[in-house]
Amino acid sequence: MPTLFWIQTGACGGDSLALLSAESPSLEQLLSQHGVELLWHPSLSHAPTRRFDELIRAITAGEQRLDILCVEGSIVTAPRGTGMFDRHKDRAKMDIVRDLAQAAQAVVAMGTCAAYGGVHAAPPNPSDCTGLQFERAAPGGLLGAEWRSKRGLPVINVAGCPAHPHAMSQTLAWLAMGLPIALDAINRPKAFFSAMVHQGCNRNEHHEYDVEDMQPGGAGCMFYNLGCEGPMTQAICNDDLWQGVSSKTRAGVPCVGCTAPNFPKEGALFETEKIGAVPVRLPLGVERPRYMAYKNLARAAVPSRLRGADQPKRNTTQSEEE
Amino acid sequence: MARIELNLDLNRVEGDLEIRLMVEDGVVVEARTVGTMYRGLEQILIGRAARDALVITPRVCGICSTSHLYAAVLALEHAWGLHPPANATRVRNLCLGAEGLQSDLRHSFLFFAPDFCAPRYVDRPEYARVLAEFEPFQGRIYRETLAATRRIVRIVAEFGGQWPHSSFMVPGGVSMGPDLRRLLACRAELDAARQWLEQSILGGDMEAWLALPDASAFHAWLEQGAAADAALALLNRFARGLQLHRIGVGSGHLLSYGACYEPEAMARGERLTRMSGGFWDADTGRVQALDQGLINEHVRHSWYQPYAGGRHPWEGETVPDYRPDSDRYSWAKAPRYGDKVVQTGPLAELLLGGDAMLQSLYREEGGSAWLRQLARLRRVAYGLQQSRSMLDEMALHLGEPHFEAPSGAPAEADPDGDGYGLVMAARGALGHWVKVREGVIEKYQIVTPTAWNASPRDSQGQAGHWEQSLLGLKLGDSEDTTEIGHIIRSHDPCLVCTVHMMSSDQRLRFSPF
Repeated sequence: MPTLFWIQTGACGGDSLALLSAESPSLEQLLSQHGVELLWHPSLSHAPTRRFDELIRAITAGEQRLDILCVEGSIVTAPRGTGMFDRHKDRAKMDIVRDLAQAAQAVVAMGTCAAYGGVHAAPPNPSDCTGLQFERAAPGGLLGAEWRSKRGLPVINVAGCPAHPHAMSQTLAWLAMGLPIALDAINRPKAFFSAMVHQGCNRNEHHEYDVEDMQPGGAGCMFYNLGCEGPMTQAICNDDLWQGVSSKTRAGVPCVGCTAPNFPKEGALFETEKIGAVPVRLPLGVERPRYMAYKNLARAAVPSRLRGADQPKRNTTQSEEE
Repeated sequence: MARIELNLDLNRVEGDLEIRLMVEDGVVVEARTVGTMYRGLEQILIGRAARDALVITPRVCGICSTSHLYAAVLALEHAWGLHPPANATRVRNLCLGAEGLQSDLRHSFLFFAPDFCAPRYVDRPEYARVLAEFEPFQGRIYRETLAATRRIVRIVAEFGGQWPHSSFMVPGGVSMGPDLRRLLACRAELDAARQWLEQSILGGDMEAWLALPDASAFHAWLEQGAAADAALALLNRFARGLQLHRIGVGSGHLLSYGACYEPEAMARGERLTRMSGGFWDADTGRVQALDQGLINEHVRHSWYQPYAGGRHPWEGETVPDYRPDSDRYSWAKAPRYGDKVVQTGPLAELLLGGDAMLQSLYREEGGSAWLRQLARLRRVAYGLQQSRSMLDEMALHLGEPHFEAPSGAPAEADPDGDGYGLVMAARGALGHWVKVREGVIEKYQIVTPTAWNASPRDSQGQAGHWEQSLLGLKLGDSEDTTEIGHIIRSHDPCLVCTVHMMSSDQRLRFSPF
């Protein structure tokens, strides 16, 4: 039976709670159908914390096999690199994680915090947070870029704030089956980080015809004015809907790019930085002049039903050309 | 006289917790509660755009992120003089209610009840039944709770897109209004939750349960027919068998900000709640109207740059000053109401809100670990009722606005202002205080429910509520301190929110079990 040990570091617990929303498979099914033996989870384990200590000892001594180590939370290294701002008993969690990682067949960073540092590593990074193998976008982090687990894998980064429930439960199920898992350039499983959030967003038609909202609360696209990162962010939010029902962009909440190493971005999160009337950052892979040409044509073709009476002022891509 | 120091660690709380106890002749004479983590989210907010608080602050806590979002949006609206349209408040209340249901149910049946499965209770009456219901991943109620809470958070996803960590509440309203399909989808989730509550937990009709007028009606309910076999009655019998209705009182001062903001009043700029809040002063025996100006935080025993006395959150500072070798012992500040140590949570919320049954039990038996847990389960019924009213009211007001844009061009810098937002989160009174200057956050202070409950000592040396709740506890066998787990978990601790770390001269260390 593959064993799983879940440890929280500088965390809010949101990834664990999101995991409870997984249905295919659910956490219960991971245990009952995929044969995962949950050695420890801080919120769910019934055993007292002395069992936690005993497990850490046995795993690092090589007496207890550890197939999957899940780390949830930023790696806190303050003060002065000791990690003592986040500790268990008299040991920095940072050191416990490092020891457990050496003994694990596979290590999974559950969420952007453990992967890249996340929200706690945003300036001024008050508790000197980093990720397991990245510090924001830079390779390194706690374990260093060259580190590999016993199975020969880098840390598998199931990014997201929180990570998508199925990105977590399906990655775990796949690892428990012992199958190879394809990773992208920043070690996220490709299966969950190839599509854009933009793909499947039900505001796509608005983007298509350059119908861009100026204020929250509308039905239009939020890319031009409200800071939406959907066209630049890789995640399954609009493919495998959250809780089976929706996504932030469908609900009118701009994507904040939480699966990216630089989340949260510098600058205002609900504003789009622009050159003239066009965003500085364009949909991933798009060439600026062609995009401009397309947008100008698109705007001229906008169907009347999208020019809703209650829609606020339209975006004015054309003004840049005029 | 045997005087020993115990250091305990607790899991199954949101975060990690250490407790230091002084025990004399088997009785707890001094307690210090300490978490183990410092993250510094308030500092991260300083200098960021004001609305970024809607993204950053939900990430304070994974189990109550919607309550942080609600407090943050109220603080910004207060600072900018905005009043959300009624439908916005209805959507906010519905989603906060759903998150609260999730939290109360998960806490009760995934975190609190499993303690009753401890092997030391094997010879107690009904132990086999307790295992069958509450054993992690095996027990019937445990499994049903996983399934029921998975459904209930869909309500937040319907309006917020996902749970946790959405930012669908914005100054001026919410990002999406109600429509027929969403209302009915949410209604289906509430109906399913109510049906489960009535069948598995209460063993009877929810409205009848809420109408119970006093303690004797409560006891009678638990002895009749289906209710006697349901989970609540089982928990009640087992908890009372363990004397949990007699221990863990803590502070008698109660704080609630009031639950369920009144949608029409909010639209007029009046922050009224459907269930009233206030401050119960146990010394005078009187309820006082809430005055947020009386809230202040001390750092005398916390690892922050010292200042004298307490400071109102608008004047507060959070500058780390880690001194492990001093008499300071926590990353938590010590919030006080005036100079009073208070407890907050579902018990405070429902006692101040006028729940007759709990008031009667409180008069007869006093506060206790079990009464806090019972209040949490009782609030589930209120949460379902309030959430349902929000749906019904929205159905009558379809098409009314859910967002009103602040005046002024969107590119204009947000105006300067000071604001606060107070909500009753799952664990109790949650407040955010913000100062906006030149479009960015100059100051941001968060006082979480667990900050109130788990506070360290203040400038006057008064112990916090949890610390008080452990005093006098008899520890039969000091190596087996299951009772500590019951008491602390009855507070529904959320350590990720609040309490940070300690250094201690650990002389003795025992596991709580």
